[in-house]
Amino acid sequence: MEKVRKCFSILLISILLTGCVKREVVDDIYLVEGIGFDGGEKGELTGTVMIPVFLKDKPPENLTLTGSGSVTKSILQNIQREAAFPISMGGLGVILFERKLAENGGILHLVDAFQRDPAVGTGIIIAITERPTKEIFSGHYGIRGNANHISHLIKHNIKVDDLPTTNFQRFLADFYQNGKSPYLPIIDKITDEDLRITGIAFIRYGYVVDSIEMKDAFFLKLLVDKYSNGLKRVKIEEGEAAVRNIRSKHKLKLVNRNPYEVHIEINVEGIINEFTGNKITPEIMEKLEKQFMNDIEKECMKLVNRFKEKDIDPIGIGHFVKSRTRHFDFDKWMKEEYKNLIVRVIPNVRIAESGVIQ
Amino acid sequence: MKDVIPDRKKIAPFLLFYILSTMQVGVGILGYQNFVSQFAGYDAWISVILSGLFIMGILYLIFKMLEIADGDLLDIHTYIFGRKLSKILTSIFILYYCLIVITIIRNYIEMVQVWMFPIIQVFWLALTILIMCIYIVKSGFRTIVGICFFSFLLPFVIAPVFLFTLPYADFSNMLPIMDHSIVDIIRGVKGMMFTITGFEMILFFYPFIKDPRTSRKWGYFSILATIILYLYLIVLTFAYFPPDQLVKNIWPTLTMWKIIRFPFIERFEYIGIAAWLLIILPNVCLSLWIASRLCKRIFKVSQKGSLYFIVLVCLVATSFLLTREQVTFVTDIAGQMSFYFIFVYIPFLFIATLIAKKVRNHGKGS
Repeated sequence: MEKVRKCFSILLISILLTGCVKREVVDDIYLVEGIGFDGGEKGELTGTVMIPVFLKDKPPENLTLTGSGSVTKSILQNIQREAAFPISMGGLGVILFERKLAENGGILHLVDAFQRDPAVGTGIIIAITERPTKEIFSGHYGIRGNANHISHLIKHNIKVDDLPTTNFQRFLADFYQNGKSPYLPIIDKITDEDLRITGIAFIRYGYVVDSIEMKDAFFLKLLVDKYSNGLKRVKIEEGEAAVRNIRSKHKLKLVNRNPYEVHIEINVEGIINEFTGNKITPEIMEKLEKQFMNDIEKECMKLVNRFKEKDIDPIGIGHFVKSRTRHFDFDKWMKEEYKNLIVRVIPNVRIAESGVIQ
Repeated sequence: MKDVIPDRKKIAPFLLFYILSTMQVGVGILGYQNFVSQFAGYDAWISVILSGLFIMGILYLIFKMLEIADGDLLDIHTYIFGRKLSKILTSIFILYYCLIVITIIRNYIEMVQVWMFPIIQVFWLALTILIMCIYIVKSGFRTIVGICFFSFLLPFVIAPVFLFTLPYADFSNMLPIMDHSIVDIIRGVKGMMFTITGFEMILFFYPFIKDPRTSRKWGYFSILATIILYLYLIVLTFAYFPPDQLVKNIWPTLTMWKIIRFPFIERFEYIGIAAWLLIILPNVCLSLWIASRLCKRIFKVSQKGSLYFIVLVCLVATSFLLTREQVTFVTDIAGQMSFYFIFVYIPFLFIATLIAKKVRNHGKGS
């Protein structure tokens, strides 16, 4: 009897607890999957949220709501006023910033809201857009909703193509890391149903200061990330080859101090998939390897010098030198030592196979 | 005045491993990275190892004292100071363990409030947790040890999940090693305090262990296991976060979970925080048990009655802590008290025990 009474009283109290928590039924909330920020007048921003509306037996419809405000939360509040259901950020997968906004106003203060919110994960995608995010969100991409499409597009390209690893955690870690600068992908809308990654933007203190096109992204990825399945065309006078299944690793080596000299060793392995010339002889393989190495060295040095000029460091040379130096002085590094830094790129290419024919 | 414990209420010696490990792993592990790296920076993993060594030394002193006095802390105090003074000294620990209960529960509720349910009220959640604890504590020491065993497994099951952060790990964050002075690294040990306390509870349940001498090695193993877990976690934390990002995060361990995605769960923190209730449960239960048992032995009141009273006091006190600053303040006090208890009072007590032993032998001899 004693036990029954105890169980009963515990159950009774637990029922009372349900009043302590806000009820959120999945069908009755707007689960935001993507949010975009566009610059506006006088510091007022326009925010657009993308909400998938799930219909029976049909792909989800994309609902976009727009609001304006100066901070993320006031934008959301504004949007809430035209939303039929409460807005919830738990499903957020994509954050987009218009390039103009990122160049002029910076994105740091906007990113803060998402860092602070416990409901927002850190594996989400952040990207820069050439045209206003409102236009991007109003397309019809993919069969699982726009935000899903953007997220998969970028994740897929990281795995099999030239995009270096990028997500919210990578962005934050690179931003907070002394001696490293973050980068973000740039996407653009080609047609109403076509979305494309058009380049990579470099961020300095929250502002976009530079960008490269996707054709140069291969070399960036060699420098900042590892390849597990890339593809590159190499041209020699006998013909043009497509090297694929590229695996790469890079290693930094501190060679000298005063001034600092860093060597970047890049090891690349690949196989030939396509060749426009006649036969692939061992000499041709060697020539291709040499040409590939020259290409890598030339383009990577171009990138390194470009970074030095713009005073950004996506490769993280500053962080690397700090890890090899006691009592490293970052102020001195940023003011003078980075500019005087000597960098040499030492590529090492090995083409293992050339397909089933010669 | 020794309390003779019947054999059927005693526990097997190897269970000491589970009790001490589970007592050490509590709420501290979710946010300790910042406290440790405050002075020692990213060399703080060395502080973790050092703190483990110090703790093993303290445990050795504790075992020796318990053997000489053949009982629990009250008996040690009686051995040195006599009955009256020992009662006064030991009753301070009743307040200390009430403070521990309040700190653990309030920190846990704060986590739930920030990460899961912002509008949940402290009182109701604390009430539910404490009622659960009353239920466990009333069933006796052996039941508490059973819960300890259960909640020992949980951190070690959750630990491999942190390997999901490896793709984002940069171990060069910790280079160059020993960029901080030895003094700074030792100061980092103080930051480990609140995370590493719990093992000293053996001072209060030593008489409940069957064949206590054989339980010693299990005590040392438990500290080894806990330190390995803390070391593993802190190395992964330092690799995942650059220093400026770590400082910004209040609960780095929880933030690390944000990136983990399983096909069936979008975000892992929700499971983690819910599981953590099971991990802090034995900590709270044993603290309540110690406080109520001390009441019984010192003031000769029933353990059940004092349990209810202590729970009421803790419930009321917990509900008064409303802001983050207040919670941090109370946690700091608890941390300081733990530090002085473990690193100052216990060595002092040990020396006093040795002196008392010499005096008695001298007295016997002559």
